[in-house]
Amino acid sequence: MNDLRLRRARRPLPSRPLLLGCVATVALVLGACGGSSSDKKVAAGGFASGLPTDGQKRGGTLKLLGSEGFFHLDPGGSYFQLDYMVTYATQRPLYYFKPDDPKTAVPDLADGPPQVSADNKTVTVKIKSGIRYGTNKKTAITGKEVTAADVKYAFERGLNPSVANGYEGVYFPLVGADKAKGGPISGITTPDAHTIVFKLTKPFGATTARALVMPLTVPVPKSYVAPLDAKQPNPYDAQPERQAFTGPYMISDYKAGKTITLVRNPQWDPKTDFKPAYLDRIEWTIDADPNVAGRQIFSGTGLANADTPTAGAVKRFATRAKDRITFTPLGNRFVGVNTQRKPFSDINVRKAFAAALDRRAMLLARGGPLVGQLATHFLPPTIPGYDEAGGAKGTGADYLANPSGDPAVAAKYMKLAGFPSGKANGEKVVMLGENDSPAKETAQITRDAIASLGFDVSFRLLDQSTLYSKFCGVRTELEKIDVCGFAGWLPDFSDPYAMLTANFYGKSITAVNNSNASLFDDPAVNAAMDKAALIADAGDRAKAWGAIDRRLVDKVAAVPFLFDNVANIASKNVQGVVGQWIASWDLAYTSLK
Amino acid sequence: MTAAAPLLRVEDLRVHFDTDDGTVRAVDGISYELQRGRVLGIVGESGSGKSVSSLAIMGLVDGERARISGRVEFGGRDLLALDPEAMRAVRGNEIAMIFQDPLSSLHPFHRVGDQLAEAVRAHRDVSRAQARARALELLELVGIPDARRRMDGYAHELSGGMRQRVMIAMALVNEPALLIADEPTTALDVTVQAQILDLVGRLKDELGMAVVIITHDLGIVAETADEIAVMYAGRIVERAPVARIFSAPEHPYTWGLLASIPRLDAPRGEELVPIPGTPPSLLGLPRGCAFAPRCPYAQPRHHEVDPRAEPVPGDPAHVVACLLEPAQRRRLWAALRTPERA
Amino acid sequence: MARYILRRIGWTVVLLALVSAVTFVIFYALPSADPAVLRAGRQASPELVAQIRARLGLDDPLVVQYWTYMKDVVLHFDFGFSYQSGESVRAAIVSRLPATISMTVGALVIWLATALPIGVISAIRRRSLLDRVTMTGALLAISAPVYWLALVALYLFASDIGVIPIFDGANTYVGITQDPVQWFASLLLPWLVLAAGFSAFYARLLRANLVEVMGEDYIRTARAKGLPERRVVWRHGVRAAITPIVTVLGLDIGVLLGGSILTESVFNIPGVGRYAYDAIRTADLPAIQGTVLFAAFFIVVANLVVDIAYAFLDPRVRYG
Repeated sequence: MNDLRLRRARRPLPSRPLLLGCVATVALVLGACGGSSSDKKVAAGGFASGLPTDGQKRGGTLKLLGSEGFFHLDPGGSYFQLDYMVTYATQRPLYYFKPDDPKTAVPDLADGPPQVSADNKTVTVKIKSGIRYGTNKKTAITGKEVTAADVKYAFERGLNPSVANGYEGVYFPLVGADKAKGGPISGITTPDAHTIVFKLTKPFGATTARALVMPLTVPVPKSYVAPLDAKQPNPYDAQPERQAFTGPYMISDYKAGKTITLVRNPQWDPKTDFKPAYLDRIEWTIDADPNVAGRQIFSGTGLANADTPTAGAVKRFATRAKDRITFTPLGNRFVGVNTQRKPFSDINVRKAFAAALDRRAMLLARGGPLVGQLATHFLPPTIPGYDEAGGAKGTGADYLANPSGDPAVAAKYMKLAGFPSGKANGEKVVMLGENDSPAKETAQITRDAIASLGFDVSFRLLDQSTLYSKFCGVRTELEKIDVCGFAGWLPDFSDPYAMLTANFYGKSITAVNNSNASLFDDPAVNAAMDKAALIADAGDRAKAWGAIDRRLVDKVAAVPFLFDNVANIASKNVQGVVGQWIASWDLAYTSLK
Repeated sequence: MTAAAPLLRVEDLRVHFDTDDGTVRAVDGISYELQRGRVLGIVGESGSGKSVSSLAIMGLVDGERARISGRVEFGGRDLLALDPEAMRAVRGNEIAMIFQDPLSSLHPFHRVGDQLAEAVRAHRDVSRAQARARALELLELVGIPDARRRMDGYAHELSGGMRQRVMIAMALVNEPALLIADEPTTALDVTVQAQILDLVGRLKDELGMAVVIITHDLGIVAETADEIAVMYAGRIVERAPVARIFSAPEHPYTWGLLASIPRLDAPRGEELVPIPGTPPSLLGLPRGCAFAPRCPYAQPRHHEVDPRAEPVPGDPAHVVACLLEPAQRRRLWAALRTPERA
Repeated sequence: MARYILRRIGWTVVLLALVSAVTFVIFYALPSADPAVLRAGRQASPELVAQIRARLGLDDPLVVQYWTYMKDVVLHFDFGFSYQSGESVRAAIVSRLPATISMTVGALVIWLATALPIGVISAIRRRSLLDRVTMTGALLAISAPVYWLALVALYLFASDIGVIPIFDGANTYVGITQDPVQWFASLLLPWLVLAAGFSAFYARLLRANLVEVMGEDYIRTARAKGLPERRVVWRHGVRAAITPIVTVLGLDIGVLLGGSILTESVFNIPGVGRYAYDAIRTADLPAIQGTVLFAAFFIVVANLVVDIAYAFLDPRVRYG
């Protein structure tokens, strides 16, 4: 079964070549390893760079083949990888990441950067004029201009049960939101038609400002959509061709589980936008078989993948069609151990485990060097703070120095933990893993590492959805387990807050749907995170979070082992451009050759 | 002895099967004749080859591993030399055969009337209606009550006796000159047996057929047959007109068969007299007389020499294959027939 | 016979109710994914998850949920809405039925047209070269996993990725009303793949049955009547040997109408089977329920039809 790229929490995707010597893997992809920017089409190693170039061809139809369906095509609910590919091509959020720069958000619907007040409790955004709604059928709002009130309504409807946005509460602690269920939120005001002011319940503005790339900021005209929001299921989601579109494309046809078609949005004015929108039309087939799709993309024309290519397809492209496959880093993977329970509550035991784990074997079990890069801390290459945390070299911790593990160092820490022999005496450790490859193999490697420390590991494998929704995501269950599944994170947007807090912030621990697999709750780290969330300046923010990352490694909040690579494949006449921040095709920049 | 040519003449018929374990000599050289309108009873135990000989005459022996030799003259032709298509024209038309178990011998899914009509249309160019009319005629002839309704019924809706009547009707539908009945009464009740035999006898007279009745039970053919042939181990060991078989049998095997028949007038408590031993396997028969191992009168020479069927002195119609001297045999029979058993 | 049919229909209803209840219990009560959590996204607050649970009615007692569901099904023929796409489950299944029916009927025709002659010829010419070759081939075809066979077929014969491009490949299906020619062309390879295993099975089954039947006494009688051998084989032999085949055929049709998941997946034919597979993967409970009930319905009806057909075929088996 495919990795579910949709489930951004858990399942990143294949690979990327472990290549020679360049420090930042982002730099590799940019071909900037001392290379000139004119040769931007090719990355080091001969793989395609996925970067936009000058003189790309206008026109034509791109056919995408994918096997997974969408979760939400309503921008108010859109929260999964595939949903994003459509949302960001058909709608304009306040801010946007250009495909080649995942670290800097540029104004899209917004007119200029967000203003964060000194007390960090107010964020003000101005929006552009002259942006109009496009629709398939002529309606009352066709051609009407987008106003700030529409953005306000977008936030309000996010709390409506028929929309049920999954992250609003996390990044937008708005005044008046706790009572709202689709009705007005007092904390959002629109002094005029092109200004919107967010008032927050706590100092959080710097992070909120960075979250303004999310699809929740896509404007939604209340007069047109409110009647739909009253229905269950919400037609704005189930019949997305009825949406009011602001982006260069619009959804002309959607058959759930079968196809979705994007065509040009006649109301989109290229003068108001920096996106080139080369393609005329995008036809997307859902439910294609991944094995067959890989072959079809390889042999055909005008085709590209929508979601994860199979390992076989990746290998074929990587060996025989290097110029048609891109590798993009995205997200991290680590092994979380229960820090609130013996034996892993003892930091020395955690250090011993980190030293005992053969991370190189984990990498190989997942598919070898193409799969990703060994990780020594938690911020991956596309997130600000990566370099500040040590980059590829790492923090220098001795228990992570040897990628294949170091039994001597492990023994040293076990002794410090109070086991004079350097090994435990058969104390019980409870571990649950996934029964699907490759998670199964990496679970076994982990188990072996723990067992090598002298523990008696009680080991059980379950299917993925049961594992996470009934055990690892449920606090009361997790408290009884030492190692539950595998953790990893894909960031909601390129910011270290979005990367680290879900897994390592004490207050992230929830009763249900918990993502803090280590139950890590360190008051000093929590305080540092609170403070760093408030830093608006990009450079300072990166430094502060880089330091937090180092701290997490020092405290062994978890054992990092991989920065994943995402592969994307295309037919020979397709120039695919990858949106680095989500490692998927950016349909507004992709073209045919 | 009639001057007319016999309807059926079998000469030295042999049917051998080649198996992985060797050659099974199911029928090992039998010869007989049958006149029009006469009834021959072929009697023998299971495995004596009696059924196979008749199947061979009909051309129904499963051909692959069978070697058939000899001559079967019928209507001026040697049936064994006919090609399959010619033989098919004879089967069910000039020679018909009925079998032991009428329930399994009738097709369970086709209506009774249809099965008869099919037999008609296989050999006569008539319409469906005409064939059905003929079928009805035959069913009434064999004594099926309410025949018109029964025609549209199925085999499993009839009693055993009724089914055998249907089989007989089906065999006679094209007025064959020869009817072969292979154990026709074995699967039936005693009372029904008599009815069926009566029926066969009556039809034989009405239609002028020759009949071969194959059975293991001498009593069955005592009344119906004109001539009886006794088979053992693939050979005819004795053949004679029916009266002679019962009054003056010449072969020890026949004596044993007669002695083993339970008699109604025997005193109660008298034990049945079986023939000791079991029939031989037809695979690898020993040299010499096949019956010798079971014969109370066998001598060492009998295990070496093959007996040949020879006429009994003074009665050319009576043939026996035995190595005992004729005079000796008569003495032995006379002794067996002493009053204690009269 | 009429009473028998009525009784069976009554039992059918009971059985379907039982199937729906068991499905309910399996997916709601036993450990599995929590659909609210899956829908909510990974950073959802507990309040959000609770909200979604309330919206989906997941907090009601199991019996209430079941009752609500069954009431909707029976009174309004409403199978609810997919958790995943919001689409009406009934609409989704109905829109996918034609594709599944197309797959079933086409494959059926092909496998019967091949299995019957092969089975009969192999039975009649037992141990001939033809017999050995076809029966060995059949064994291979039965043993080959359908998914693998489908992939191999594509890699060999698909017009876009195959070595010998003669058939339309995956993703080419259109409905018969849209473009009958394309509909037919897109289904040829899937039909062949799906029919392969069945054809093999039926050929072997027919051969075995026929060999046994040809040894029966009534075949000997038929020959003794002087019937042509072809008539003996077909009207007497095959006629008797075919009844178990009809039984199995009815059941196979019932099962296939529930969706041939693997074949539909590989060729991307939007049928009910593929829908069921996606539903299970995403713990889309209304969709799972809907597909299970549909499949159960077809199988139960197929059972009934087969039993009635059997009574017509075999007069010894008649029901009061």
